[in-house]
Amino acid sequence: MSIEQIIQQCHDVLDLLPSQALAKAREKHPNVGGFAVFPVYAPAEIIHAAHLMPLGMFGAGNKVEISHADSRFQSFICSIAKSTLELFMRGEMKDFTGAVFSSICDVARNLASLVERNAPDLYIEYMHLPQNMNSAATLEFTRAEFERFRNNLSKHLGRPITDDAIRDSLELYNKVRSLVRALYQEREDRPGSITTAELCAVVQAGTQMMPEQFVELLTPLVELVKAREAHERDSVNVVIEGAFCEQPPLGLIEVIESAGCQVKNDDMAIGWRLFSDDVRANGSPTAALADAYVSRSSYTSVRHDRDKPRSDALVERMTSCGADAVIFAPAKFCEPALLDYVLFRMKLEEKDIAHLKLEFEEKMWTFESARSEVETFAESMLFD
Amino acid sequence: MTGTKKGIGMKYAAGIDVGSTQTKAVLIDPARAVVARTLIDTGANVVRAGQRALDGILAESSVDRADVGFVVGTGYGRYKIEAGDTQVTEISCHARGAQMLFPMTRTVIDMGGQDTKAIKVGPEGDVLDFCMNDKCAAGTGRFLAGAADVLGLSLDEIGEISLRGTKPIRLTSVCTVFVESDILSHLAQKKKMEDILAGVHEAIASRTIGLVRRVSMDDEVTFTGGVARNIGMVRALEGKLQTELNISPDSQFIGAIGAALFALDHVFAAERDAGQVSKEPAVWVDE
Amino acid sequence: MRTEVADDKDYRGEIHELSRNIMTDWMAELKDATQTSVPSAYLMISGNCVEILRCFDILPVFPEINALQLAIRKKSLPYIIKSEEIGYASDNCAYVKADIGFTMCGGVGPDGNIPKPSVIVCNFVGCNVYIKWFEHCREMLKVPMIMLDIPFVRDGVPSQDDVKYVLCQLNELIKECETLTGKKFDIDRLREILAYSARAEEGWSRAKELCKRRPAPFDSYFDSINMMGPINALRGTREAADFFDAVVERYEQMVAKGMGVTSDERFRTVIEGPPPYPYYRNFRNLFENWGAVAVQSTYSTVGGTWEFGFRHDPKNPLESIAEQMIMHNLCNRSMLDRYKQIKTYIEDWNADALVIHSIKSCRLFSAGQGDMREYFAKELGVPTLMVESDLEDPRYYSEAQMKNRIDAFFESLQYKRIREGEPAPAQA
Repeated sequence: MSIEQIIQQCHDVLDLLPSQALAKAREKHPNVGGFAVFPVYAPAEIIHAAHLMPLGMFGAGNKVEISHADSRFQSFICSIAKSTLELFMRGEMKDFTGAVFSSICDVARNLASLVERNAPDLYIEYMHLPQNMNSAATLEFTRAEFERFRNNLSKHLGRPITDDAIRDSLELYNKVRSLVRALYQEREDRPGSITTAELCAVVQAGTQMMPEQFVELLTPLVELVKAREAHERDSVNVVIEGAFCEQPPLGLIEVIESAGCQVKNDDMAIGWRLFSDDVRANGSPTAALADAYVSRSSYTSVRHDRDKPRSDALVERMTSCGADAVIFAPAKFCEPALLDYVLFRMKLEEKDIAHLKLEFEEKMWTFESARSEVETFAESMLFD
Repeated sequence: MTGTKKGIGMKYAAGIDVGSTQTKAVLIDPARAVVARTLIDTGANVVRAGQRALDGILAESSVDRADVGFVVGTGYGRYKIEAGDTQVTEISCHARGAQMLFPMTRTVIDMGGQDTKAIKVGPEGDVLDFCMNDKCAAGTGRFLAGAADVLGLSLDEIGEISLRGTKPIRLTSVCTVFVESDILSHLAQKKKMEDILAGVHEAIASRTIGLVRRVSMDDEVTFTGGVARNIGMVRALEGKLQTELNISPDSQFIGAIGAALFALDHVFAAERDAGQVSKEPAVWVDE
Repeated sequence: MRTEVADDKDYRGEIHELSRNIMTDWMAELKDATQTSVPSAYLMISGNCVEILRCFDILPVFPEINALQLAIRKKSLPYIIKSEEIGYASDNCAYVKADIGFTMCGGVGPDGNIPKPSVIVCNFVGCNVYIKWFEHCREMLKVPMIMLDIPFVRDGVPSQDDVKYVLCQLNELIKECETLTGKKFDIDRLREILAYSARAEEGWSRAKELCKRRPAPFDSYFDSINMMGPINALRGTREAADFFDAVVERYEQMVAKGMGVTSDERFRTVIEGPPPYPYYRNFRNLFENWGAVAVQSTYSTVGGTWEFGFRHDPKNPLESIAEQMIMHNLCNRSMLDRYKQIKTYIEDWNADALVIHSIKSCRLFSAGQGDMREYFAKELGVPTLMVESDLEDPRYYSEAQMKNRIDAFFESLQYKRIREGEPAPAQA
């Protein structure tokens, strides 16, 4: 299969609604259940070990018209919250066991409540991921939180989720993450070997299928990408920051790269590729996950780290991938991204680093004004 | 009950609806029949608009001011009406007016230049629940006007044209700020004008459905306000709601009619106070 | 019967005066501290551990109260705009924007009214914006920040692990306070402070209880602000405890005499959501016009849900602080828990209606209030009104729209009463 064919497969997967993605997974994994993971992060391994497909809940993009959720959420609420609630309210998730939300922002916490009330047959979990990485009790609390989720899920399903099963899932997801890291590395080292729109399609599609299938797709893809010719272009090297939850339409990503920017790194769908290296697959699996979350997570806008302010982490990310500028892509109405933007901006201006802010919505479909903004930005950098 | 005795022995009741662009007035007789109506531009002077509208219905009906028992003001300018004896919100008035014109009305959709309302109405025209669009989605009328503007059309023709659309386009949002660039992008993509307009009407209709859902929809549904004259909007709403809408040629006057009905309550209440028997129940007493 | 209330109607009474006096003293203390080296700490209102700071004589400073005061004095807008100039979005919390703008303009520090804190103690209790806000303060003021990560109530009650995690962090905070002040932690002093807290909490609870009476002696939304300052900012002091004794005495007298906050209580409401501080009195008038009194409110329980019985316990000092931070405040509980709280208010306080004030700034409160409306109006059949503006940004308040909705709502309630055979109320 060619790269193009694999990417097309990913696009096909991204066109599916959650129930269709689950049905498709069942072709190869009969009887597998489904469990939705709202951004940013949840331990997919525990879900997978329970013989459920962990499905990345990235709203509904342009696929669904909002008709119920508008009456529940005000107009100043982000699109992903509305489209997620819409999917639950219109019965799209009824074949799923449930969903997990976490303490990423105030909208997500209320969304979890609304889903619970409006989809009463499903098991809805709310996870408290730690915000204090410096307490002597943090690691133990995080482990206990993952255990709590495991026990609640196991109780709901009426079957045990064993350490062995979680360790197997850990190895599988370690494989997924390392292959995704390889793709990221290729893009960084040889821009154009895989475009960012392609890379995003792959990473997002991977959250809509069983990890076993994803590995099957990724393994040849990495080889093909390594062999693909990369054309040097005259473009501005950028990092995309702010799209850690709601995902920008791929059309917008295409526009960014075709209008003169080369994306060297980004935080899109970052919860699914959060760890800088493999999670320990021996010993207590929840302890290993806790350790990875607390000590080896990428920075995100939803995790406080006393010792490493995010703006320093962003500059570090830029330096390590050789980017010259930042494109801020916060989702419209996204409070964490919009608040972080202020401190990021201060830091970049202090260091005289160029940046551009492009707000997006998952359902946006016209990118002409974004194109002219990016073009102007790139021109100003290239001809400076 | 103390208060005004103005109503004693008098026959007529008036309602004045002072909107941001137009002021409407209606005069009704004790049998609830509309005997005069007038519509004028509000202009800059809201106080004068109220008076002018009242003068208009008096002139049209040749009724003496002294024979008008009570005047109720409604609409955004209601507190500025010096000619009025009291004020009632247009929400209550629309419910009451719609119920008089269509007695089986249980849901009212009122769409004007400023905002959109969904009202759940009881059998006697009482407001059981209501909901208004929140601020960011405000200005349906303006949204339509913006769309018409970009396309170089008049507000009166866009509804008709939208009906010819076969493949309605999808808009990013129902936001007055973005409508222009949205439509321009569609034009750039050589989309047909009728499909663009169909999309515009559909977008507003689905937005409105959300509002109607909040109060829960019961048949019959009466569509009021300035936008009710737009046939494209009527059809789009009917499509989404799967029901036929009541539309009155008097739809612009519904607020004023409701206000006149409240005024009539006062007339009856005053008569009853004065010992005169009336068959009508006093449903509204206000100072 | 609806009489328009004059815009300059004075709602202040004895309790307002008392509250203002002790709050003014506290603010004078803050102002003095800008010139001295008295240690001070930033802290958030919701579920906080002010008692621990007090135990080390660290002056607590609350950016939320600063933002609130800017708004109620109609001074917030220039600071909000100042913040927007450096990149804050129109959709960001305006409390943050007003406070940061104020800070940028020199309001914090030797030339301002508020001391530059020695340390920022971020009690993350449900509100995710707290973390961002304090991260921004840390950046602007270059002050160290201590995070207290309080697990959200997820399974009805906190788990052992939740409590252990919080206790460990409280002990770590105590160590930091010892280093900062050079004082040794004195648990007996903490017990004394907690006894004052408990006395104030008891007074709060009794006062709120009195609003079950008809007529209610005070407006549990608009007048609660007089009690919120003392219980949130001054909890753990003798002044606050004495204040609440006076509150109870005053309101008990009113109840004994059959006096209500309004001369003609016609509608009893529960109000959900923070008030529009820039238009506080104007907003109140719109309810007063209809003889509508709030007999309970959720906003007043941001700091603590004392009316449901929790008291700080001098016998278990740190444990009870931890328990309060996790469990007994509105912010750290889910939206569905809030539905339950409101339902109890409506039933036990005999309310006629629910009013939801949806504010753009605070998504913790507002996100999803349409569902709340759905639940109360449709499932429970409680007349429910939703209005919207903001708690800090005056640009979101439209008086005409607000009045229209509130009038229509009470018109419909009144009409319903008349229809149900109640005599029309006496005319004013």
